[in-house]
Amino acid sequence: MYGMVSSHPEKHAHHRQHQGSASKVTWSVYRRVLNYVKQAWTGVKFALDSELEDLETPPRYRPDSLESLCRATRFTEAELKRIYRGFKAECPTGVVREDTFKGIYSRFFPQGANASQYAHYVFNTLDQDHSGLLSFEDFVQGLSILSRGSLDEKLRWTFSLYDINGDGCITREEMTDIVTAIYELMGKFTEPCVDESTVRDKVDRIFQKMDQNRDGVVTLEEFLDCCTRDEDISQSMAVFDSAF
Amino acid sequence: MASVAAWLPFARAAAIGWVPIATHPLPPPPIPKDRRKADDEKLLINVSGRRFETWRNTLEKYPDTLLGSNEREFFYDEECKEYFFDRDPDIFRHILNYYRTGKLHYPKHECLTSYDEELAFFGILPDVIGDCCYEDYRDRKRENAERLMDDKLSENGDQNLQQLTNIRQKMWRAFENPHTSTAALVFYYVTGFFIAVSVMANVVETVPCGHRPGRAGTLPCGERYKIVFFCLDTACVMIFTAEYLLRLFAAPDRCKFVRSVMSIIDVVAILPYYIGLGITDNDDVSGAFVTLRVFRVFRIFKFSRHSQGLRILGYTLKSCASELGFLVFSLAMAIIIFATVMFYAEKNVDETNFTSIPAAFWYTIVTMTTLGYGDMVPGTIAGKIVGGVCSLSGVLVIALPVPVIVSNFSRIYHQNQRADKRKAQRKARLARIRIAKASSGAAFVSKKKAAEARLAAQESGLEMDDNYHQEDIFELQHHHLLRCLEKTTDREFVEMDVPYNGQPKRPGSPSPLASPAHSAASHPGLLHACCGRCCGQRYQKHQRGATPESAVHEEELNDIQVRMHSNRSPPSEPTPDRLSRASLNQSNMTGGVATTATGGTGAGGASLVSISKPNSTTSSTMTASVVVNLPASYPGSEVEPASPVSPGASPSTSPDQQPEVRISSL
Repeated sequence: MYGMVSSHPEKHAHHRQHQGSASKVTWSVYRRVLNYVKQAWTGVKFALDSELEDLETPPRYRPDSLESLCRATRFTEAELKRIYRGFKAECPTGVVREDTFKGIYSRFFPQGANASQYAHYVFNTLDQDHSGLLSFEDFVQGLSILSRGSLDEKLRWTFSLYDINGDGCITREEMTDIVTAIYELMGKFTEPCVDESTVRDKVDRIFQKMDQNRDGVVTLEEFLDCCTRDEDISQSMAVFDSAF
Repeated sequence: MASVAAWLPFARAAAIGWVPIATHPLPPPPIPKDRRKADDEKLLINVSGRRFETWRNTLEKYPDTLLGSNEREFFYDEECKEYFFDRDPDIFRHILNYYRTGKLHYPKHECLTSYDEELAFFGILPDVIGDCCYEDYRDRKRENAERLMDDKLSENGDQNLQQLTNIRQKMWRAFENPHTSTAALVFYYVTGFFIAVSVMANVVETVPCGHRPGRAGTLPCGERYKIVFFCLDTACVMIFTAEYLLRLFAAPDRCKFVRSVMSIIDVVAILPYYIGLGITDNDDVSGAFVTLRVFRVFRIFKFSRHSQGLRILGYTLKSCASELGFLVFSLAMAIIIFATVMFYAEKNVDETNFTSIPAAFWYTIVTMTTLGYGDMVPGTIAGKIVGGVCSLSGVLVIALPVPVIVSNFSRIYHQNQRADKRKAQRKARLARIRIAKASSGAAFVSKKKAAEARLAAQESGLEMDDNYHQEDIFELQHHHLLRCLEKTTDREFVEMDVPYNGQPKRPGSPSPLASPAHSAASHPGLLHACCGRCCGQRYQKHQRGATPESAVHEEELNDIQVRMHSNRSPPSEPTPDRLSRASLNQSNMTGGVATTATGGTGAGGASLVSISKPNSTTSSTMTASVVVNLPASYPGSEVEPASPVSPGASPSTSPDQQPEVRISSL
């Protein structure tokens, strides 16, 4: 009888944990057959080397220095320290992945609410280099604009949020998507209930207000113009400021 | 919810995207109270000499625990400026890590009871133990509980003897536990003896003793000493019958007893005798009668009542049945294959034994189990080769699975037990978690109610508890966020629960002085008090710790509040916007906030205060509620709104001209 030895089973499990989202390298049929023959002959199970090869080191990320962040954003050092501590406590690797982000965001809304769509849009807006990961710089820059920015900057950020594909204008479809995502945040138990006409009416109303030249899309200028003129919106923009 | 307090500012910032969608202006944010310092401070915790330091915010993540609530103030040492706990520092490390990371781990080397005690002391439920350690914890807990129960049972067993007055119960207990009394022990041994005698008699019956008179062949003892054996059999059956009837009488649940395995064995053991009595010595049925006697051998199974080992074996076989079944199946497959091949190989040999495939089965079985009787042997070379392969494969097929089955059995047995445990735990745990989540979701709605209930209490001068004056800024901001969402979408959160006292949803009737307050809000920089249109809220029940009294109490207070507000004469306020604000926000059943009239602030602006009701916070994690709204005149620094604790206090508004409101600290 030959014994079966599989090498380093613990390390396997350990390494596999760190693979994260890396895609596995599929090794060729030839290699697999060779491995099988070797195993059958010697009776020793070899560690699948390719599994060890394509291990991904976990993302480690260090932010820029405190001073440079201070210069880039409108936060003071003490505030930045506090924000970073909270950020790192929640995301020890220093970056936020989209699903983590969605999970965190959905904790703020009641059960049954689908926060993932709106979180997805926010994530894309914050993630300026479209890397799929939100670093601390992105995070704190976004936060700086949203909490400490001028009305114009906030409106621009909001425009980029609405402009899902980033082409510089908001179409009806994009607006519908955003409004749907916001209504989904409410969850299922609302009074009165949400149906399709609600969203449609809302979008129609917004477009009527914002689309001055009636070309079916809202450009940045139209958006800025309309929002700065509307006092409710201007005032409400300041409602979400926070101190840190 | 409190554990993501660090991300709340971010969630609020992201909510800017809602603003252009909203048709109405959004409510203003809450402001923290004065005593919240700008900088987070470090707290020193001294546990039996070992010092731990952590941020205050870390501890306040879980306000329903000892360290997160103001219960810790009881342990504050003024001279050393630290919190002193006279507890185990090793276990405290884990508890503090729970605050830091949100995950509670269970150290395997610690005693379960001491760990439980520490958790109970610090007000942490064991349910929050993380998944990595939960199974282990539960297993240890169950072992502990079983051990305790065993100890208790054995204690009680000795004590309970006198307590059974019922003869039935006494008898049943005597049958089940022979060690409890001497009579039971005697009965136990007597039945055991008779089972043995009966089995021995069955065996000896067939031994030849002497020759048949006048015929060839031996005479079995059973026929020679017919009367003796008959008497023996009768005696045994009488004992067994008596025992069965007594058990039937004493059984607490007769139907269950009749269906149980042991009783079936009993019946099968004694029935042949009675059937035999009924059947006359007819040749037709004597064959059947003889068959019936075979069943007498089942009396040996009655021993399993006397032997623990037999019972375990029976259980083992039962639980391993699928493995055994698979073994039999694979054997059958192999047998058929080899028998077929053998038959076709040996077909042409003269006078061969392999007359058919079923005839070859016997050869295959004998060869595969390596018995090799030799009554059937192959003649051709092909047959010999096949026979060789058959015997080799027999070794594999039979010898290999047996240890696998044994180890499989042991593994599967334990695995199943663990899986069942986990499933049971999971279900209960999920149910608990769901309840907790539902209650936290419900808590939002309840806090709104509590808000104006509290306010009404204050208005009407009712007594309030002092210890709820502290408002958690995170909760305020979170509530503000959700209210803004409601306003943006023109919808309100409702609960799915049926109203507590069957009250229908009150219609959102406009307040007496309903005027679209937005027009009044044209005053630049004036922030509105919030969502007055949350009037459709249904009642909901707190699942945990909710008492009917509290709900009723709320209802009463709401009534009071309704009356208060309908009675309140608005003209007392000088400024029109305050008036409109009061009117806007006071529908019959208001949502989050209510206004209080302030004592004549020239700058104009009421502060809204609402405090959570005491009862509603017994179980929920929140201790505070909403404070909203600031007049435009609020400065950027923290300003204290009218503290509800001191009813007479008016908000200190200083006439600054900053239109924006800032929360100065988190």
